[in-house]
Amino acid sequence: MKHALLVVLFASCLDGTGNRLVSFSAQASAARDIGAVAGQPLHFVTPRGFDVTLTSAKLFVGALYFSARAPVTASGATEEPCVFPALATGEVRGGREIDLLDPTPQPFPAAGQGSDLPTRSAALWLTNGDVNAANDPTVVLHVEGTATKAGTSYPFTGSVTLGSNRLTPPRNAALPSSNPVCELRVVDNIAFETTLAEGSIVSLEIDPRAFFASVNFATLEDLGTMPPSYRFRDDAATADQADNALFNGLRANASPYRFTTTP
Amino acid sequence: MRLTRLLLLFAFVSAPALGGEITPPEVLTRVDAVLPPSAPPPLQNHVLLEFTVNTTGRAEDIVILESAGEAWDQASRDALAQWTFKPAVHEGAPVKSRTRISFSMPTLPPDAGTSDDGGSVDAGVPEVVHPPHASEVVDESLDGGHEDHVMTTVITERVLPKSRGASDVRIEIGQLRVVPRMTGGELLKLAPGMLLTNEGGEGHPERIFLRGFDAREGQDLELTVDGTPINDVGNLHGNGYADLNFIIPELVENLRVIEGPFDPRQGNFAVAGSADYELGLKQKGLTAKATYGSFDSQRIVLLWSPESASSKTFGAVSLQRSDGFGQNRAAQSARGAAGFEGRLSETTSFRLQAIGYASGFRSAGVIRDDDFRAGRIDFFGSSDPRQGGDATRASLSGDLHYHLGGFTAHQQAAVIFRSSRIRENFTGFLHDVQLPRQAPHEQRGDLIDRDSQAISLVAKGYGKLRKSLFDRNQELELGYVARYDLVEGQQQRLLGGAEENTPYAKDLDLSSRLSNIGLYADANLSFTSWLSLRGGLRGDLFTFLVNDLCAVQDVRRPSATNPPGDASCLSQRDFGKYREPTERVSSFGLALMPRATLLVGPFKGVTASASYGEGVRSIDPQFVTENKETPFAAIRAWEAGASYSGRLLDDSLDVSGRVVAFGTRVDKDLVFSEQEGRNIIGGSTSRLGALVQGRVRGSFFDAQAHGTFVRSQFDDTGLLVPYVPDLVLRFDGAVFRELPWKLVGSPVKVSAGLGVTYVGRRALPYGQRSDVIFTTDANVEASWRWVTLSLGSTNLFDARYRLSEFNFASDFRTTPPYPTLVPVRHFTAGAPRTVFVSLSFTLGGQP
Repeated sequence: MKHALLVVLFASCLDGTGNRLVSFSAQASAARDIGAVAGQPLHFVTPRGFDVTLTSAKLFVGALYFSARAPVTASGATEEPCVFPALATGEVRGGREIDLLDPTPQPFPAAGQGSDLPTRSAALWLTNGDVNAANDPTVVLHVEGTATKAGTSYPFTGSVTLGSNRLTPPRNAALPSSNPVCELRVVDNIAFETTLAEGSIVSLEIDPRAFFASVNFATLEDLGTMPPSYRFRDDAATADQADNALFNGLRANASPYRFTTTP
Repeated sequence: MRLTRLLLLFAFVSAPALGGEITPPEVLTRVDAVLPPSAPPPLQNHVLLEFTVNTTGRAEDIVILESAGEAWDQASRDALAQWTFKPAVHEGAPVKSRTRISFSMPTLPPDAGTSDDGGSVDAGVPEVVHPPHASEVVDESLDGGHEDHVMTTVITERVLPKSRGASDVRIEIGQLRVVPRMTGGELLKLAPGMLLTNEGGEGHPERIFLRGFDAREGQDLELTVDGTPINDVGNLHGNGYADLNFIIPELVENLRVIEGPFDPRQGNFAVAGSADYELGLKQKGLTAKATYGSFDSQRIVLLWSPESASSKTFGAVSLQRSDGFGQNRAAQSARGAAGFEGRLSETTSFRLQAIGYASGFRSAGVIRDDDFRAGRIDFFGSSDPRQGGDATRASLSGDLHYHLGGFTAHQQAAVIFRSSRIRENFTGFLHDVQLPRQAPHEQRGDLIDRDSQAISLVAKGYGKLRKSLFDRNQELELGYVARYDLVEGQQQRLLGGAEENTPYAKDLDLSSRLSNIGLYADANLSFTSWLSLRGGLRGDLFTFLVNDLCAVQDVRRPSATNPPGDASCLSQRDFGKYREPTERVSSFGLALMPRATLLVGPFKGVTASASYGEGVRSIDPQFVTENKETPFAAIRAWEAGASYSGRLLDDSLDVSGRVVAFGTRVDKDLVFSEQEGRNIIGGSTSRLGALVQGRVRGSFFDAQAHGTFVRSQFDDTGLLVPYVPDLVLRFDGAVFRELPWKLVGSPVKVSAGLGVTYVGRRALPYGQRSDVIFTTDANVEASWRWVTLSLGSTNLFDARYRLSEFNFASDFRTTPPYPTLVPVRHFTAGAPRTVFVSLSFTLGGQP
């Protein structure tokens, strides 16, 4: 009888309901294959022929979210909500400012939580507050450097914020929320194929060169100083090509961001 | 002084009104009365007692009709309580019967001389010669009866349906009534394998688990009260939703539970099984009971049953309120019930029953485990204090029962009105999707406000024929059920924050007309005295006519000139083309379900049985699609087991028990969705398990224990079905006796009850296991004359336990600014120790 009871009690602990909840850690750094050295400027040439020396690049990432949803194309992503709670596989809710010129891992302050459901994509939340707030003063990207082309130098600075300064009008009167503010702050559909496990380390590598790939530094706002200095306006209404190109480069999901997992 | 012999008159009459198929009860053993030596002379020459001979052959509900004085009455009563009988037989089955007996009293002091011949005490009192009636059965060894006595045997209960095997459990509450139970629903715990949890608060229906099924609030368990349906059809909270809170626990006389769909009478929702509450009040007279307990809990109950009536004639009212434990758990309710049993003719009896119920309650809901561990919320706290609800029920039912010779007919009809409103928030601020056509908004909150109202018309009946074939009684029963429901249901979502009652979205708005016609044929074939086959075929037709009043909730290409905005129910198609916002769908489905049980025995009280049955669960109206045959959840179940019933140790112990192995397969099971706050259709599942149960009753104790183990898994993956318990153990016990001394000449009766529950660690999503549940409830009471005082406690040892546990994603904004999207543990707190004291007075009746 005693043995039968032990079998019954033991059997009640066997098997499971599939998948497991896991805890993991996350870190971020400059991409390690771009020649960045901590404390040193980063030198590169953009596809538009600008020779750029980047002396400072800081990106604020508020949170990371991972999803079982496969990345969708840009057209497919139209009018998608910012959040898919039913498909979430992991999250890191607590961000930091990342030095994009430093290839050493910079850990996120918050532990990650998730499950071992297969992850297909990731999202960065570039905000330090409510993702739906009309305005957010957080500087999500700050850059400094010099771009040179055809003998003309453009020393520049730039601070990017994501609020009403970036809102685009709705597509039409029937779709007043077709361009919600949360879309500005969420860089999603980043391909990330992995299965999180207990104790995993998720690494985010960021290539700041991709932010400037389409920037025409000649369209920067001239501050009228001597020596000359230029800046990114941080205002979509200005229609500066450089400003818009930097903003689009920041939010591109393909080239700047790469996630890996160990083990 | 001991009375050596009392003259006994014992006469039974087989009432011709009952069709000539009555065998009266027979005396098996008699016990002399013992009179205390200090007793005064009797007031008259006899004591007339009326009593019930129950199906175990014992005298109960003994009432003194004509008294010879308290001491003589008590001596007669005590003696009769020790007699044993062969019960009356009606329609081939032992039944309770009500009859009378007269104890003749000596008119001189007891030592004036006695006779040893079993006849009258020769005390100088002339014998009264009473010629027997033609219909009287008189024991020739006794003297004639008292001329003023009219002796009849009245069958006090209708013949019970035949057993469907080892999992057919008829629970006579009896002395186990003293184990504390706060609701009528908790009596289900007396059935093997039942677990009840409640994440909605005191007024919220309990969530029922049985045999590996998460029956939620009743979707997989057919629940009835004296045959009147309790399950709601088409309730948005869940098809089959059953609120048992209208039942006054003191009115529950018996409970019949069939675990598994093995009886052709079982209808819709009998997936895990069925439970029928039989209401009745044995305590005669007027009883007033007041209870006060922890958390300012107050309860008043008035119960009444006239002395000359059966237990089915009663009236009862209860009022109660409580602040509840912890945060946001206050509740108040009122219940009323009345029943009447009478006779229209010699062959026809009838019953009427009316029930009313209203309640309002607050609900704490679930809380996140990480919030609790971080100290952001108390164990007994609430994440959203707006949760709660209210409910009402009113029903009127009646039946006619006819029996003549070998034919029995039964017809029942009921009208039921139900309304329920429940506000629940499982996920906080997570699922409010920003649609492009809406004005920009943040997460407005996931508080679901679900309202349902229904009127049900029910008719059911059967005709049963008994014939002797091959020298054995064979039975064939043909029956039907017809049910029609008018259901209105709405589900809205309410804004969070200060705008507490403002809906911002409508999820569902349905007006449904649902019907169910069921026919069955059930045969009871007796091949030998030890081999029987019972079963037959049942067919059910379900029809659905659903008017979706909010059929269009989004449009891909909304009109720019007539934008739909934030409206939930739209009246446009693409590009603004007009359409009505409503849409009707209708569908039907037919299911045929064979059910059979083979019984072998009894051999020395042991009966082995094997059963097979198929059942269905109709779907929620919101899942009905036009002109497609309504998908059912189809169930196949089997079991094999053995049961024992008998008397041991010189008839001093009444022992029963059972051992059963069972299996079930469901093709479209329901799985809990926290996003919906209800179960939704999942895949097919199978269950395999075993149970053991035993009950022992003696002269001073009554104890029952049962244990059930079951493995529930999804057929495609082999993974466990979450939330259902795989191990449930339960013990209920009561001791009772009269104290050896009296208080002011009247006896003091004391009783004590104990209930212990153990639930093993339940499987949760994401491979986790819940905590165990281990609680103990106890109660002691003392009765003297017409007063009863009791002191009880639930969760006696104040165990801190988690009644329900879940793994899902929620965001109650306890750690802003980023939402939490991944599953985490949530739980509802089990009630802490509750202490209560009750005082009751009974006027009239018998002490």
